[in-house]
Amino acid sequence: MRAHTRRSLFASIATVMVASMALVGCSAGSTTAEGEPDTSLIVGLLATPGNLDYTTTAGAAIPQALLYNVYEGLVKLDNDGTIIPLLAESWTVSDDGLVYDFLLHDGVTFSDGSPFTAESVKFSLERVKDNWTANGPAYLDPIASIEAVSDTEARITLSKPSNSWLFNMSGPVGTMFTESGLKDLATAPVGTGPYTVSSFKTGDSLVLAANTDYWGEAPYMTDVTLRYFTDATAQTNALLSGDINFISGISQFQLVDQFKSNADFQVLEGASTGEVTLSMNNASDAFSDVRVRQAVMYAIDRQAVMDTANSGYGLLIGSMVPPTDPWYDKDLADLYPYDPEKATELLDEAGVSDLSVAFKIPNLPYAVAGAQVVKDQLAKVGITANVTALEFPAVWLDDVFSGHDYDMSLIMHSEPRDVSVFAAPTYYAGYNSPEVMSKFAEADAADPASYIELMKEATTTMAEEAAADWLYLQPAISLADADLLGVPKNTPSLALDLSTIAR
Amino acid sequence: MVLVVLRRIGVFATTVVVASIVTFLMLSILPGNAARIALGVQASEADVAAQATRMGLDRPGIVRYVDWFGHVLIGDFGTSTVSRQPIGPEITDALGITVTLVLTSVVLALLFAIPFGILTAVRQRKPDGAILSGISQIGVAVPGFLAGMLLVTVFAVTLRWLPAGGWVDPGEDFGGFLEHLILPAIALGSVQGAVLSRYVRSSVLEVMREDFIRTARAKGLGAGRALFWHGLRNAAVPVMTVLGLQIATLLVGAVVIERVFSIPGLGSLLLDKVALRDLPAVQGIVLVLVVFVLALNFLVDLAFTVIDPRLRSAR
Repeated sequence: MRAHTRRSLFASIATVMVASMALVGCSAGSTTAEGEPDTSLIVGLLATPGNLDYTTTAGAAIPQALLYNVYEGLVKLDNDGTIIPLLAESWTVSDDGLVYDFLLHDGVTFSDGSPFTAESVKFSLERVKDNWTANGPAYLDPIASIEAVSDTEARITLSKPSNSWLFNMSGPVGTMFTESGLKDLATAPVGTGPYTVSSFKTGDSLVLAANTDYWGEAPYMTDVTLRYFTDATAQTNALLSGDINFISGISQFQLVDQFKSNADFQVLEGASTGEVTLSMNNASDAFSDVRVRQAVMYAIDRQAVMDTANSGYGLLIGSMVPPTDPWYDKDLADLYPYDPEKATELLDEAGVSDLSVAFKIPNLPYAVAGAQVVKDQLAKVGITANVTALEFPAVWLDDVFSGHDYDMSLIMHSEPRDVSVFAAPTYYAGYNSPEVMSKFAEADAADPASYIELMKEATTTMAEEAAADWLYLQPAISLADADLLGVPKNTPSLALDLSTIAR
Repeated sequence: MVLVVLRRIGVFATTVVVASIVTFLMLSILPGNAARIALGVQASEADVAAQATRMGLDRPGIVRYVDWFGHVLIGDFGTSTVSRQPIGPEITDALGITVTLVLTSVVLALLFAIPFGILTAVRQRKPDGAILSGISQIGVAVPGFLAGMLLVTVFAVTLRWLPAGGWVDPGEDFGGFLEHLILPAIALGSVQGAVLSRYVRSSVLEVMREDFIRTARAKGLGAGRALFWHGLRNAAVPVMTVLGLQIATLLVGAVVIERVFSIPGLGSLLLDKVALRDLPAVQGIVLVLVVFVLALNFLVDLAFTVIDPRLRSAR
């Protein structure tokens, strides 16, 4: 006991000495000898990237690892979901909302040494239309022309005003590339970010090293390893045993409580953009009648579903909008209180009895657990849900998403600001409301204040017409060593921003 | 003798070809569209169709099979549709990890099973023999993945002596390699060790009743010496048979253990590739596994003829 105390005392003195040395300008370096700051970080993640090229490969895993860390765009989303400058120092928008003038940071280079200029902006964004196949190349459709006014001035002209365009520029499609860095996007990305990729073993790990020539403030962590797990228990065990320092976005919430009572760890509960949705095929015979869909809304006790599927973690939302979006309306969560009698009345009114529906879910833990509760609750109002668990992603995408061959499903929609996508008549939900679609279009072209108001109106109409039952918002729960600082709490974008983490 | 060997090689080659056809057919009826997975939910149906053409998925099955197997025969497993890297090196890297894990667990299982099995045989009618025998029964009953989870809870989470999972290349850091190897190897080998020790026990008991042991004892050798000099070699034959069969089982068991310990072996690779519908990679992995097991059986057969001269004439 005594020896232990002395050791800690020495460690503290050493820490203070090193810290003061660092203050007067002697770099502490990246060594992990006792007393010096430990600038290496190991992060445990679940979804592994198949390769490192998000221009042609879908899935959240690649942008999670690379966006804002290795790759940067003109703008980024901060942890509260606000658009802030990144490679652009500032920008101005013309009064008609069509012309964006970006002033770029000077002296920025890519990790292969080539300079970042307005020409890079033109090159990168023009490349999207013809060369990108994944991660939404259509997001840049509003762009009419891109002009490199000078090395540090880029002018982008839109064909129509678009509020969502600038937001989307903070995601993968807004990434800045250099022509010399395109040789091997799948394994050797070249960006302007604070980190570079030093090794990548698919299914195992991705190692990032601090970019020594980074144009902005150097990140605290100099060596970051992203380790990929296939099992949430193995992931938490690795944190408990000290193999890793940080888990971003735990997926099985029954594993969280053991960390709350353990002083060695911190538990951060933030908001994600993952709406867990009980989707109803609006185009199917079963659910084309709005009263039947509303009956389902009243028949489901969303709190009970969340308690079972998520150990009570999450937020009841009632629409496809997370609190990090400006048009979030918390009252929508109470639009359809749990009321099985009302559900039965609505079904009678619609002349429906003995309804039997094909309930096709992905074979994911939250969906399997949630579907059981939904099935039981639907049975109480006389709806028989025949549950089939389909292999995810392959079979579910084929059958439900592409084939529209289902009546009901349960899936998390994790993309940011995806509500207008959900409303498209060709989407798998089959929701067809010209009024809502035109409102979304009107909102996108409106001035910022009306934008929020119109978005609110459109999402409210969707909830009133029961386009789907948005059960709850998946929480973003992060677990980390107690001594880590600046751990990102929310996940408003696809990126896991490592640059803020320190010890 | 030469004819026998030639016939065996012929059977081997035919089995490989049949296995390649079966693998190909089974995977081609697997539901799910690799092009849709590659492009994700934001892509339109037209984009997905174009991607399928790029990936060569729209060609007739027979063309795809001949193209694939023809290249495999010259050692080219093709390019992964997901990682866009050559599949051959991906498989050999992962196979190296799995084989290391399996062989270590076999060695651990034998190191446990031989002394333990002999001891329980020798102490058969004594109380301690019964207790030892009971312990091996428990070992047989506990599945490997459960043993793995228990080991992680005790040695990684509670005591923090060893890592909870992951893999380190021996060339990179040999100490780290051993640290990461030990728990999964024990988890994978525990059931096999217990099963083998049962076989060692019954095999030794049987041999001890043989006439040649009685003769050796009559010549004045003690029970232990008689067993050591004359019995163990004879007792080894049935144990070898079981071991040969078990290595194939261990490869399958490794898939689960790799999952529990997040080890990037062949099992993990196979499951990842199936989920992403990376068909060229899945076909390659399954074929490598089939060839591996066939080759193993062939080697076990050879080993018999070395251990037991009686089997040479029996052919």
